[in-house]
Amino acid sequence: MRKGLAISAVLHAAVLLWGMLTFDVSPFETATAESVPVDFISTEDFSKLTAGIKSAPKPETPKPLVEKVADKKPAPEPAEKVTEKKEIVTASTAEPPPPAEAKKPEKADKPEQKVDPIAEALKKEEKKDKPAQKKAETTPLPPRKRPPPPQPKFDPTKVAALLDKRDPQRNAATGEEINRTPSLGAPSGNSPQLSQSELDALRARLMQLWNPPIGIRNAGEMIIRIRVLVGRDGRLTAPPMVITSGRGTTYESARDSAVRAVFRAQPFDMLRPETYETWRDMEITFDPRDMFRG
Amino acid sequence: MTPAELAPAVAPDLSIWGLFLQAHWVVKSVMLGLLACSIWVWAIAIDKTILYARTKRAMDRFENSFWSGQSLEELYRSLSSRPTHSMAALFVAAMREWKRSFEGQARSFAGLQMRIEKVMDVTIAREIERLERRLLVLATVGSAGPFIGLFGTVWGIMNSFQSIAASKNTSLAVVAPGIAEALFATAIGLVAAIPATIFYNKFVAEVNKQAARLEGFADEFAAILSRQIDERG
Repeated sequence: MRKGLAISAVLHAAVLLWGMLTFDVSPFETATAESVPVDFISTEDFSKLTAGIKSAPKPETPKPLVEKVADKKPAPEPAEKVTEKKEIVTASTAEPPPPAEAKKPEKADKPEQKVDPIAEALKKEEKKDKPAQKKAETTPLPPRKRPPPPQPKFDPTKVAALLDKRDPQRNAATGEEINRTPSLGAPSGNSPQLSQSELDALRARLMQLWNPPIGIRNAGEMIIRIRVLVGRDGRLTAPPMVITSGRGTTYESARDSAVRAVFRAQPFDMLRPETYETWRDMEITFDPRDMFRG
Repeated sequence: MTPAELAPAVAPDLSIWGLFLQAHWVVKSVMLGLLACSIWVWAIAIDKTILYARTKRAMDRFENSFWSGQSLEELYRSLSSRPTHSMAALFVAAMREWKRSFEGQARSFAGLQMRIEKVMDVTIAREIERLERRLLVLATVGSAGPFIGLFGTVWGIMNSFQSIAASKNTSLAVVAPGIAEALFATAIGLVAAIPATIFYNKFVAEVNKQAARLEGFADEFAAILSRQIDERG
């Protein structure tokens, strides 16, 4: 027995020694991949990404906003209204000269009449109607005869030029080629998403008003989808359209009840006007199971 | 957190000795116990292999001399001087009983046949007991070794999970060494248990074979002695 034990112990020692010497842990040969930056975003963030569409075609180089082919000019403030009508621009600059020319002979005729016609016109306007009328009546004829010829000329041109009521304008941003997309993204850069509270409020209102027939046997078939077009004031702009179809009196009564509920739920004032684009055209699902689930 | 921060400060020593040193003391004791079991199993295996081979050789030799036509008295005289084993022991025991029955004043043939058979049965039992000794150790190690190793593994994994919870870091670099050292316990358990089971089965078969051979010889010898008793009686 002692012999066996000795042999066994020696054998084990040898195996252990061999194991210690050769049991080498070689790390896995992994190709060092470049680290990929990963951002975690919520689904809400993702849906809000519509402000910049990721799948939009990418231009090779970011192009400046260009609306008209011309020499390069920096785009002015975009808040101003864009106009392309050059005639208007010329009207305000080119039309005044003729009156000025027409005026000159008169001015030459009567140099003593140094009163600025515009100022005079303004003064007249400033004066109240009654004194103006009185003056007109009291003033002698010769001076009265003189002013009228210039007056009709002043009013449409100079006054109109003074009271330039056109919107602030800017010249079209010029560039070498027309590029209407300033950057990646939708033009209305807001995120079209109804918040959960709005949806819940709408659902609660509709469920409150909807009275499906009691004792529906197969509630799963009683799902009614209604397309609703709503105006900015929260009222229906068109009669609600039932999308789903079904048969049977219970279905019809449930459908009619749903349509009634939509009518009675007006106005949808729980929807914020800022998100109008999202609830302008809605599809509302009436599911009896949701109701009975509570 | 950078990968450098995630990795443990010191790279874990994953060699066999390192795994052993890092283990919890329960796991360590399990490992040591299993190592001792393995040494013991192999010692028994070597011992039994030698024993069976020697027994087999002795039986062959004895059978050769027994059936060589040599006188049984001479054979008995040559064998009884020194301690014998297996078949020779059987023969010596039977012959001793035979001789005692004849050497006494009163010849008692009545129960001789039965007495000889009894003596031979006892000798066979003793011989088989000698052959089977310590085989139970092999059986125990073979069946319990994996469980003992598993216990060490479960304990080690439990321990490493506790340390994960404590360090609040679940990266594989933190989890892996603890699990590796825990699994090492199961590996040792299997290393001890697999040879134990194999040797146990082999040795049990060997013992059965030798026992059958002994019983066969005992029957033959009993028949010869019975014939002698009848001739003399």
